Amino acid sequence: MPIRENLLLKRNNCTRKTLTPQTAKGTIFDIQRFSVHDGPGIRTTIFLKGCTLRCFWCQNPEGIHLKPEVMFYPDRCIYCGNCLLACPNKAHVVKEDAHVFLREKCTACGKCAQTCYAGALVLVGREMTVDEVVDEVLRDKVFYETSGGGVTLSGGDPIVQYSFSRALLKKCKKVGLHTAIETAANCQWKILASLLPMLDLVMMDIKHVDSEKHKKATGVSNKIILNNAVRLSKTKKPLILRVPIIPGFNDTKSEVEAIAEFVKEFSNLEYLELLPFHRLGEGKYKALGLEYSASNLAVPAKEKMRELSEAVKKLGIKVRGN
Amino acid sequence: MELTYEQRLEALCKTKMQQTREKQEVLLVMDQDDHGRILPSPEFREITEYMGPSGEMVRDAKLNNFKPKSNHPSGGFFGAKACGENFNLFLKAHPVYINPMSSLAGGYMAYFMGYRNPSWPPELASNLEDEQRKYGVYPGIGATQHFCQDMTIGFKLGWGGLLRKIRRYRKLNPEKSDFYDGLEQVVLGVQDWIRRHVEVAREMAKKEKNPTLRRNLEEIAEINEWLISKPPRTFREACQWTVWYQMIARMYNGSGSMGQIDVWLKPYYERESAAGTLTDEEAIFHLACLLLNDTQYYQLGGPDGEGKDTTNKVSFLVLEAVHRLKAPANIGIRVFDGLNPELLRRGVEIMFEDKTGFPKFLGDKGLVEGFVKNGYSVQLARQRVYSGCHWFAIPGREYTLNDCVKINFTKVFEVAFWDMMNDSEIKPSVDELWSRFKKHLHRAVEVTKEGLDFHMKNMHKVFPELVLDLLCYGTIEKGLDASNGGVEYYNLCIDGSGLATVADSFAAVEQRVEKEGLLTWQQLAEHLKNDFKDAENVRLMLSSVPRYGRGGTRADQWAIRIVQAFTKFVKEKPTPAGFNVIPGLFSWASMISMGQTVGATPNGRHAHAPISHGASPDPGFLRGGSAPTAMAVAVVSVQCGYGNAAPLQLDMDLGLARGEEGLAKVEALIKGHFELGGTMINMNVIDKKQILKAHQDPSKYPNLIVRVTGFSAYFASLSKNLRQLVVDRILEEET
Ligand code: SF4
Ligand code: SF4
Repeated sequence: MPIRENLLLKRNNCTRKTLTPQTAKGTIFDIQRFSVHDGPGIRTTIFLKGCTLRCFWCQNPEGIHLKPEVMFYPDRCIYCGNCLLACPNKAHVVKEDAHVFLREKCTACGKCAQTCYAGALVLVGREMTVDEVVDEVLRDKVFYETSGGGVTLSGGDPIVQYSFSRALLKKCKKVGLHTAIETAANCQWKILASLLPMLDLVMMDIKHVDSEKHKKATGVSNKIILNNAVRLSKTKKPLILRVPIIPGFNDTKSEVEAIAEFVKEFSNLEYLELLPFHRLGEGKYKALGLEYSASNLAVPAKEKMRELSEAVKKLGIKVRGN
Repeated sequence: MELTYEQRLEALCKTKMQQTREKQEVLLVMDQDDHGRILPSPEFREITEYMGPSGEMVRDAKLNNFKPKSNHPSGGFFGAKACGENFNLFLKAHPVYINPMSSLAGGYMAYFMGYRNPSWPPELASNLEDEQRKYGVYPGIGATQHFCQDMTIGFKLGWGGLLRKIRRYRKLNPEKSDFYDGLEQVVLGVQDWIRRHVEVAREMAKKEKNPTLRRNLEEIAEINEWLISKPPRTFREACQWTVWYQMIARMYNGSGSMGQIDVWLKPYYERESAAGTLTDEEAIFHLACLLLNDTQYYQLGGPDGEGKDTTNKVSFLVLEAVHRLKAPANIGIRVFDGLNPELLRRGVEIMFEDKTGFPKFLGDKGLVEGFVKNGYSVQLARQRVYSGCHWFAIPGREYTLNDCVKINFTKVFEVAFWDMMNDSEIKPSVDELWSRFKKHLHRAVEVTKEGLDFHMKNMHKVFPELVLDLLCYGTIEKGLDASNGGVEYYNLCIDGSGLATVADSFAAVEQRVEKEGLLTWQQLAEHLKNDFKDAENVRLMLSSVPRYGRGGTRADQWAIRIVQAFTKFVKEKPTPAGFNVIPGLFSWASMISMGQTVGATPNGRHAHAPISHGASPDPGFLRGGSAPTAMAVAVVSVQCGYGNAAPLQLDMDLGLARGEEGLAKVEALIKGHFELGGTMINMNVIDKKQILKAHQDPSKYPNLIVRVTGFSAYFASLSKNLRQLVVDRILEEET
C-alpha cells in the first residue's frame, strides 16, 4: 500500500520555512470545542487532515488523506438539483430517479457542497491560516483557564502538516495556551523534536509491539513508532500513551501486557489509556465512498476492558480505560 | 414499632408519587413547575378548563365549597378588603391536610386566583392592548407576585405579631382601613386554618397506633398551637411557619419566591445543634418535609452585603434534603470567588447523580456588576437574591414584576419586515429593515413601559399583594400595597424573547438576498407568505446560513446589535411615571405561544413554529452537536448587563461528568461562564435513551424530570408540544 502522505513527509525536509501566522495555511477538517475526553481540562481540538497510517478500523476516515474530499449523505438529499448545475465536472447525475455521485470525476473543488443547503454534500478539509485557527481557539480561553485545559492538535496526524503544526503551536504558546498533540509518531525523529519545544503534552498511540501484525493492520511497520516512543520517554515532556483496543488485533491480555512492558520504564508517562474500539465512524466511510473493513468487529465488552486495565495495573503502570 | 426518618421519608415520597400521578390523570397536563399542590378529595373537587400558556386547554380542580362574594357589577371582587375577605373565606373552606409521616402539617389544594372572574374590572381597561398585541408584548398588566418578601420579618413576629402590627398602624393611617382590613383577613384566615390543624392532629394522635407517628402528631398539635400567634422558637417550628406562609402565598396568587433559606434558618440550626437538641438527620428530615410541601425558589450560598460567603451547614443540609427527595426543587447556588468550593462541588455532583435539573447556578459577578449600573450600591446588589425562575429580588424591599413582562422580538421583526415591503416609496434593503426594526422595537418598549405605569396605577385597586405585603418593609407601616409605593425600590422587568430567530433572520437576508443575490426581496416575501410551500430548498438555503452561537458569524453580530438596541431603548429613560426598568432575555415556556402568532421567518422557521428560547442559540446552531462552551460564550455576548438574567440553558450528557475530573470540568464551565459575566445556568443532565423512550410513552416514565426552560418538570406532565421541543433538542445533538 503506497501511502502518499508518507512520501510527502519524506520529500519535505523539516528545515524551518518562513511561515508567518498570516500566511501559513493548513488543511483542517474539524475544530471541536469543549473536548473533554482527551487530555487535561476543557480543550479545543484541531483536526488536521492527512495520516501516515492506514488502520483498518480508523474512526476518522475523513482525516486520512491530506487533500479535501466530498462526503455525500444520500438520505439528506432533497433532489433540488443544485449540485448538478454547480459541478464543472458533471460528477452529479440522476440515474433511474436516483442521485448518483461519480466520485472519480470529482476534483474536490467544493462548488456543489456550497450550494447543497440540505447538507447532503459536505466538503471536508478547508484551508485555514494559523491566525484563523487561533482566533477560533481563543474563543474558549476563559475555560482553559478555569479548567487547566488548552488546545490539542489531532487528525489524521498533525505531523503530516508539520510545518503548519509547528507554526500553529508556536502561536498558541505565544498567546499562553497549554498545548497537546495526538500523534502516531510515524515520522523522522527530527520532525517530532522540532515540535516538542512548543508542546506541553504528547499523546501518542501504540497499537502493537509486533511489527508484522502492526504492518498488516495499519499499513506500516512499527519500528519508527517504537523508536520514537523510546526517544520521547527520554525527554521530560509529559506523555500519555494510548492503545486502541481492536478485537482480533490487539485485544488479548498478552498483547496488551506486551505494550505495557514496553512502556514500563518510561519515567515521563502520565498514564496508559486503553480506548475501546467503537463504530461511530461507520457512516463516514459510506459518505466517503469507502469500504468499512471493521464492520464485522464487535465493540469490546466493559468486562473485557476492565480485565485488560487490571492486567496493565498489575505491572505497576497507571492506566485509564473506559 | 418505631420508624426511622429514612422510612418516613420513603413513605412520604411514595405518597408524593401517587399524588403526582393523580394530578396527571385528573388534570392531564401541567405546563408549569410541579408545585406541591395536592388535589382536593373528590367530594370537594370541581373541575374547570381554561387556555394554558402553550395554547392547550388546561384543566384545574377547584374547591366546590367556596364561592367568592362579589363587590362589583361584573360579578368579580376587587380591592384589598374584598380580596382579603374572600381569601379568608377560601381558607375557611380549605380542608385540613396532615400526613402523619411528615414532621410538618399542611398541604394546599387549590388556587384562589382561579375564582377571580373577571380578574380585572372592565371599566379599567387599558387602551394599549392593540399596540401591545401588534408587537407581541406580554405586558404584565394584572400580573401578580414575582418579587420576594423577607421571611425573617415573619420569624420575628409570628402571626400574632403581624396582626398587632397591622392594628397598630391602622390607628396611625385610618384612611387606609380598606387595605388593613384586607391584610387582617388574611392573617385571621391563616390562624383559623392552623387552629383546625391543631384539632385534627390531636384527634389523629389519639387514634394513631404507631408510637413514632403518635408522638409526631402530638408534637404537630403542640407546635402549631404555639404558632397560631407566636413566632417560631426552633428549627422545626421555623420550617412549619415557612410551610404556612408558602402555602398561603402560593394559593393567594401563585407566589413561590423564598430567597436565602440557609441564612434565615442558620441561627436556629446552630443554636439547637450546639445544644445537642437537633441532629443533622433530623434537620434534613424537616427540610425534606418543607421541600415536599412545595417547590419554592431558594438561593444557597453567595455573598452577604459585605461580600462574605453566607454558605453554612444549613446550605449543605438543604442540598442533601433535595438529593434524598429526588423530586423537583428550585434551588440555586450563587457562585462567586469567595464561595465555599465544597458547596459548588456538591451541587454539581448532585446535579449529575440525580439528573433532576437541580441545582441551578447563579453568576454573582454579572448580577452585581449589572445591578449597580442602575445606581445602587454593591451591598444592595449582593442582597438581591435568587427567588424565581430566572430572577432575583431584594427581599421585602423591592417590587419587580420579574418574568411577567416580555417583548416578542420575532413579532417586532415581522412588523418591520412587512412595513418595509409594503412601502412602495422605498427599495428594500438590510439597512432599511434594520432601521425599521429599531423603530418598531423602540415603540414596543415604549408601549410596554406605558403598560407598566397602567399596572402600577391600578393593580392595588384590583388585587393587591396581601400575602407578600405582610413580610415587606414599609407596606404595613405606610398602609400601601407593594405595587402601590409600599416598598423602597421599584425595578420593573422587561425581557426580550426570540433573539436567535431574529438574529439568524437578519443574517440570512443579509447573506442570501443582499450579498449573494440568490433571492430577491419579493421572492423572499412570497416564500414567507406561503410558509415555504414547495420551496424546501429555499428554506434550507436560508436556514443553512451560519447561526448565532457559533461565534464570529454575521448572526452573532446581529444578536449583539439587537440586544444593544433593546437595552438602550429600555434604559434610555424610566417609564413615563418614573419607574426604573431593567432589561433581560427570557421566554419562560412562552416560546410556543409566542411562536403561534408569528408567520414564517427568514431564518427558515415555519409559520407558527416556536421561536428561539431566551438568549439561547437555536438548536443545531453548530453542526455536529452543541458545544456548551460555544453556547456559554454566545450567551455572555448578549447579556443586557443591568442585573437581570439572560440564562444559559445547557442539556448535558451524563457522560460528561464521569469521575472527579469530569465534575471538575463541568465546574470549570460554570465558573468560566460567570467569569465572563454570565448570570445564570440551567443545566439538564440527559440520558438520551431514556428521554426518547419516554417520548414514546410518557406514562411509563412518571419520574423523569427535564428542565424545560427556567424550571424542571416531570416529562410526562408536559404538553405534547413542549415534550417535542425537549426531544428535538436532544436529537439535534446526536446528528
Ligand atoms: S466538489 Fe467540485 S468537482 Fe467534486 S462533485 Fe462537487 S462540484 Fe463537482
Ligand atoms: S444539492 Fe444537495 S440536496 Fe440538492 S440534489 Fe444535490 S445533493 Fe441533493
